[in-house]
Amino acid sequence: MNPFRAAIAVARKDLVSEWRTREMVPALAQFVVLALLIGNFGFQIDSRNAPSIAPGILWLALVFAGLIAFGRTFAAEREQSSLEAMLMTPASPVAIFAGKALAASVLLILCEVVLLPALSLFFGTPFSGDLVVAVLLATIGMASLGCLFAAIVARVRARELLLPLLTLPLWIPFIVAGGQAVQSAMGLPGSYDQAIGLLIDFDILFVVLTSLAARFVLDE
Amino acid sequence: MNKLNRFEKASVGAVALMLLAGGAIFFYAPTDFLQGPVQRIFYLHVSSAIAAYGCFAVVLLGGAIFLRTENYAADRWARAGALVGVVFTTVTLVMGMLWAKKVWGAFWVWDARLTSTLVLWIIYAGYLLVRRLTEPGRQAARLAAVVGIFGFVDVPVVHFSVTWWVTHHPGPVIINDALPAQMLATFLFTMLCTIVLAAVMITIRYRIETLMDMKQLIAGPVHVVITREPEPVQ
Repeated sequence: MNPFRAAIAVARKDLVSEWRTREMVPALAQFVVLALLIGNFGFQIDSRNAPSIAPGILWLALVFAGLIAFGRTFAAEREQSSLEAMLMTPASPVAIFAGKALAASVLLILCEVVLLPALSLFFGTPFSGDLVVAVLLATIGMASLGCLFAAIVARVRARELLLPLLTLPLWIPFIVAGGQAVQSAMGLPGSYDQAIGLLIDFDILFVVLTSLAARFVLDE
Repeated sequence: MNKLNRFEKASVGAVALMLLAGGAIFFYAPTDFLQGPVQRIFYLHVSSAIAAYGCFAVVLLGGAIFLRTENYAADRWARAGALVGVVFTTVTLVMGMLWAKKVWGAFWVWDARLTSTLVLWIIYAGYLLVRRLTEPGRQAARLAAVVGIFGFVDVPVVHFSVTWWVTHHPGPVIINDALPAQMLATFLFTMLCTIVLAAVMITIRYRIETLMDMKQLIAGPVHVVITREPEPVQ
């Protein structure tokens, strides 16, 4: 069985199921807007300091939205024990994992479609292609790691506790490089190109590593 | 002395070595000209960092061997290494913070080395939590092995990703000949003693893990029943 077609089929299944229920994306969109609201009350933001505060709020909102999105990735499969059924098909566990990760990143990207314009709207920070590229590159690596650890904790008792504890430290490289890139995209000092280069390096490293590890996490 | 078993003898030996190292640190090593007595933190601070890396290498190796061979002894070594490694990382962090307060004027700065050590601590504390929250068995061991391997890979990556910020932490002083002979001798001796201590601790912990696994095995039939996840109650 062609692994790419299997991955696309799994992703399509997840996205169709999301389209029929329309649960996650509206909830995530509302969550990020609420996060911006809290950022507004937590800081004294004016037009001068907005570019130095907005990147931090962006990453906080994105990271926690990501935790919610990836935490739900395997929830439906667990509740209906459908993961075992999928693993019994000839599709390789890596292809199934890639499909789940793809679907989860699409959901997170849809949430970013709300987050990035809302950030510019509320805080008056510049909205640019550079900003979008930086956030998208970070999303790829975060999605691969987030999905791997969501699969790991899916079989653990206190999964809601454990997912952030395991995932957040591993996301730090993406937040460091992505944070730098977003800051430069908003006009703060720092090299944008260097940060984007690092993000691409981290994406390649962690996509390869998670694909290698997926076999041990899903295979049973 | 005959009453002691081999683990107790090893512990007594390791503690005696650490006391000797303490003697060397306070009475043999000269006082640093610039920093004064606080520089004596250096010996144990760096030694326990090296011991912690050694422990996490045990976790990495144990996890990798378990994934390949399903040998439970390898998993027990990994569990023992993670616990002892977290202890030594804690020692490194606490001593480093005390030293930093005196020399840099703050307990914490977001420097590359400090950030990556904190991440190291968080990852392996998470590893221990994974072990606590999973029912012991093949699944738990495989999941934990993946966590241990990712943790080991992530730390150099975190370190690299923050190094473009200004770093406060001194670079390696041992390699470029900056230490006087007496300091170097004290450091090497302390490092040796700390590594022996870590090895003894891991061995004892390995024994405890073995006994706990045997207990699981004896309680086998009951265990099979409780590992089944209950159906979600609506």
